[in-house]
Amino acid sequence: MTISSTVDLRKKTNQLRNWIFEVSIKSGGHVASAFSCIEIMTALYYGGFLKADPKNPQAEDRDRFILSKGHGELALYTILADLGFFPAEWLDTRYRAGDCILGGHPDPKIPGVEVISGSLGHGLGLAAGISMAALMDGRSHRQYVLVGDTECTEGSVWEAAMFASKHRLGNLTCIVDRNHMGVLDFTENTTGLDPFFDKWMGFGWDTVTVDGHDFQELCAALSRINEQNSDKPSLIIAETIKAKGISFMENVPLCHVYGVSKEEEIQQARQDLAWRSGPEGESG
Amino acid sequence: MILSKVQQRDAFITELRARARLDANMVLITNDQGAAPLDGYREELPDQFINSGVSEQNIISVSAGLTLGGKKVFVYSIASFIILRAFEQIKIDLCAMNLPVTIFAVGSGYSYATDGPTHHATEDIAIMRTLENMAIYSPADSNAAAALVDISLNCGSPAYIRLDRDRLPAIYGGGHDFGAGYTTLRQGNDLCILSTGCMVSKALEVADRLENDNISAKVIDLYRLKPLVASGIAEAIGQVKRVVTVEEHCRNGGLGSIIAELLADSGLALPLRRLAIEDGAVFGYGTRDDLHRDRGLDTDGIERSIREWLI
Repeated sequence: MTISSTVDLRKKTNQLRNWIFEVSIKSGGHVASAFSCIEIMTALYYGGFLKADPKNPQAEDRDRFILSKGHGELALYTILADLGFFPAEWLDTRYRAGDCILGGHPDPKIPGVEVISGSLGHGLGLAAGISMAALMDGRSHRQYVLVGDTECTEGSVWEAAMFASKHRLGNLTCIVDRNHMGVLDFTENTTGLDPFFDKWMGFGWDTVTVDGHDFQELCAALSRINEQNSDKPSLIIAETIKAKGISFMENVPLCHVYGVSKEEEIQQARQDLAWRSGPEGESG
Repeated sequence: MILSKVQQRDAFITELRARARLDANMVLITNDQGAAPLDGYREELPDQFINSGVSEQNIISVSAGLTLGGKKVFVYSIASFIILRAFEQIKIDLCAMNLPVTIFAVGSGYSYATDGPTHHATEDIAIMRTLENMAIYSPADSNAAAALVDISLNCGSPAYIRLDRDRLPAIYGGGHDFGAGYTTLRQGNDLCILSTGCMVSKALEVADRLENDNISAKVIDLYRLKPLVASGIAEAIGQVKRVVTVEEHCRNGGLGSIIAELLADSGLALPLRRLAIEDGAVFGYGTRDDLHRDRGLDTDGIERSIREWLI
């Protein structure tokens, strides 16, 4: 399913946000993290960038998406269900429930999921290995990895970053969900990541910064990467807001683990999300 | 006993090169570790060799990715570094997804003797055997090491092969079938000495000495520590009166623990003596002979411990 207009991508995102929220009320999950990256993943899956076929999820020429920040699982699960990789009912009956095939973090047992993720700092190296194997064999599929910005305090991320640039993995695109927040605090109050752009440039990546909630900027960056066909790995710093869309959670420390359960908060969140999904939803 | 012509690592890499020559999907990746036969491998098969630099965590993740991309990956490193630094990557990226990456690592036990605790792998068996899907091999000589190339290629799971750094006494001839998981090298009725890696030759020597006093010792080389061939080993052990394990590994969780668990699980009420590196004596520097002697793991020390136990 490819959506060509940014208006329709916005509508799709709003639909997904509502779905994610309703699932989270029932079964929990990392809502704040899903809401910071949902536009990024919507652009990839619906914007015509990620070649993935729900009827043949293991097709050899598919593009690979790795959700290295595995705590964005609700964004991935709702998208995969929406695209038909597995039945939508699974989110009601099998997400953190029943046989738990949809666990709290992704697992390759799930149709459409490439690797296990949830412990941070693994995804970029895994994707680098897949990318290298593809180049060795002359296969043209691309790898997309979504990492969290706080994940970039893991040394293994930078080991993989060095590896990817040294081996000219131009078929690898990493997108950093730069929401500036970890669990307890803002990134710059903890280890500090800035100058983040310069770091990635210094590690040999073709780097660009975009508004991670703006489809025009996201799609333009992804299109440019495809068109330029560089042999350098590509890095998109997607500036985002954690818990984007729920007014009382946005940018609030500890929102990472916050589960909305109070009735007045549920109503407020639904009102926030309904506003975003209404006819004027573009303004969200 | 006559020493093997080459050390285990070199025998393994030579065999690996011969196999890789015939299979372009085989890839060797290392964290900047050298070896004389590796020079020939690199020269002949540059497209099947990756020096990833000193980045153990990334090497395991990349190896998992290469395997997902259809490659047959062999990771070459120093045992202590790759096992301990990258343990979580091994657990998640290899074991949880059951990807058949083979880690062949040099420096088992006190192989790196005078280089000290940073380079010693004296707890690797204990750690690695906690991992689901992980196969563990500990060959006793170079022929056994070379045979593990083919076995690991076909085992269908992640594998850890702990290799010695020294030339060990030759125990096996070429062509021995290592599919069984263990070998009864010597028959005996009074006690059974189970050993692994470099300690197997010492166990054989001790058994010969005990024979002079009419103490009949069976010797088993347990070269596959996981998955364990529990029923076969229990049957072999059940025919003797006492059991001794000899290992160059800390006492907690190694070969002795494996056999203690096997005895308990099999309902075999046999006395067991575990000769290993005691807690409090693990970290040290010295020649390998000195390290062994100080811990009672030289041939004299092993013999003495067994005799004292039998009195």
